[in-house]
Amino acid sequence: MNVIENLAKSSLMALVIFWVIIRCKSFEVEALPYVMLSFIPIFICVAIVIVGSICPFFWAATNNKFTHKEVFTMCFPYYSCIAFGLCCYGIITSNFDLHFTAFCTSAFSTTNQSWVWFAKTDKKMHNNKLNNTTKTTNNLKEAITKTQSM
Amino acid sequence: MKQLVIIIASILFSILFYNRGIGLNLSLFTVITILLLYIHNSHKFKNKTILLHVLAYVLSAVFVFVNHTALAIITNCAAFFTLVGTVSQSANSIYVQWFNGIYSSVAGLFHRNFEVNETAHKIDWKKNIDVMHWAKLIGIPLVFVTVFILLYKNGNPIFNDFVSQINFSFINLQWVLFTILGYYLFSNISKPVQVDPATSIDLKTNNRLLKGQHFSEEKLKKEKQLGITLLGFLNLLLVFYIVTDIISLSTIETTKASALSNHVHSGINTLIASILIAIGVILYFFRGNLNFYAENRTLKSIAFAWIFLNVLLIGLIAIKNQIYITSFGLTYKRIGVHIYILLTLIGLITTFLKVLKVKNLAYLFRRNTQIAFVVLLVCSTINWDATITKYNLTKAKTFDVGYLINLTNRNAIILNELKDTIEISQRQKDSIETKYLNHITSLSQKDWQEWNYETFANSEKLKKTNH
Repeated sequence: MNVIENLAKSSLMALVIFWVIIRCKSFEVEALPYVMLSFIPIFICVAIVIVGSICPFFWAATNNKFTHKEVFTMCFPYYSCIAFGLCCYGIITSNFDLHFTAFCTSAFSTTNQSWVWFAKTDKKMHNNKLNNTTKTTNNLKEAITKTQSM
Repeated sequence: MKQLVIIIASILFSILFYNRGIGLNLSLFTVITILLLYIHNSHKFKNKTILLHVLAYVLSAVFVFVNHTALAIITNCAAFFTLVGTVSQSANSIYVQWFNGIYSSVAGLFHRNFEVNETAHKIDWKKNIDVMHWAKLIGIPLVFVTVFILLYKNGNPIFNDFVSQINFSFINLQWVLFTILGYYLFSNISKPVQVDPATSIDLKTNNRLLKGQHFSEEKLKKEKQLGITLLGFLNLLLVFYIVTDIISLSTIETTKASALSNHVHSGINTLIASILIAIGVILYFFRGNLNFYAENRTLKSIAFAWIFLNVLLIGLIAIKNQIYITSFGLTYKRIGVHIYILLTLIGLITTFLKVLKVKNLAYLFRRNTQIAFVVLLVCSTINWDATITKYNLTKAKTFDVGYLINLTNRNAIILNELKDTIEISQRQKDSIETKYLNHITSLSQKDWQEWNYETFANSEKLKKTNH
């Protein structure tokens, strides 16, 4: 489970979604440096949310020997529904304020995608293990064939 | 082909909802949703349960167009989630279907990353197109070109003027984003997903109560004795309460609003506590093996008698509420009391059936939630604001005009029509007229997406307003 890689990808995704929504009415090229700079606070927000609300599920599951896919299937539906409810509540109570809507939309999309990335790392590891096992088996087979031919 | 359908649906979504209020668009959205679900899941549309939910969804859309009330809109949303959940798995309880429906609509696309068929498809797709290469090919030059444009802008005034003239204002990015939102929603619901293990557990749970392994006659006998004593005393107490309530009902003064209000509200509180405890006690005693105990007839009879007495109690509260309504008119709270009474009555009937037919708790939850959904659908068939106004001004002995004026604009036309038939002050008549004019003006300013039945019914008046 590569948390840093996930945080970097999620922050980039959050940055893009947030600024696309904010700047969808008018975009000035002069604002680009500020957009770049905003990566730092966005990274901090994303890190707090992901490490605080998504990682614990996977850490706890590793101790209990669940696969990442099992954790995803078990917990993600409830997480996404609660996150959606909270984001909708926030957007409505803020009277559809553009900045807050952008924040909630990027937070919802990023956290959901982050779940998928975390769950897929397990799959990658599983695939790598599978490939390694297949390679070893093939090598062994080749060695046996060579020995037999000799 | 199926992707094209989703893209067309998302463009229609933007045309219908972008910067528009609710009206005809929600009804048309219903049609689009059903078509999209049918195209992507045509094999499932032979199932009767799904067809029944399609009918409920269509009916709710008709009520949105005809009544245009908040309740009708809420019902339409509930019917949408129910239909999506039913398409994902039709054999589930309705509350699991709601959950599946909400989950599919909110995050179906993310969930489908792990479905076997989809994965196989994705691997092929990724093999054909090198996504990372394309991302680098577009992303890296884009970032560098933008940075260098910013740098060169300050170095050359002609280049600066040229860059300033580039204008993308003809693209409405907000509209595009709204279309993407529509695409996301339709992609989510095109292949509804299931929440596991909730769905599989619910499918495994049937309605029948099974006999437990530890069947001790001695224990059951003691439990039966406790049940008979407890329910017997409670029956006596309830009989005494009902007799005194009937006496107090006959002496009630219908002219005093405060006395009547006190009677109804205290009665409702008693009802809430009594019914909840009644159902709880009955469910406790009939939770397990006592249902299969040969000598449980007396206990069952006493439990049924208690349910019957609670039904009587409900009847008395309904009479009190009706007296209140006849004397002082309809309000949302008084209608709410009637609906609560109806739901409680249904709850008691399902508890009675649970004990009679030896069913489990899942049966009770399933039936009650199904009935609650039907009640919601039925309630959305009525334009409550107009009904309250018409009843209060034509049938009630006294009424509160201020309350009627403060209701939503859905009663503006009928209130204006009846204002000359009642005795009210000139100031109140002016308020009604202002409300009516505001409503007609707002109706005439609506776009076709926001139209409802009222727009068509008053088209002549609207033409005059426009001229």
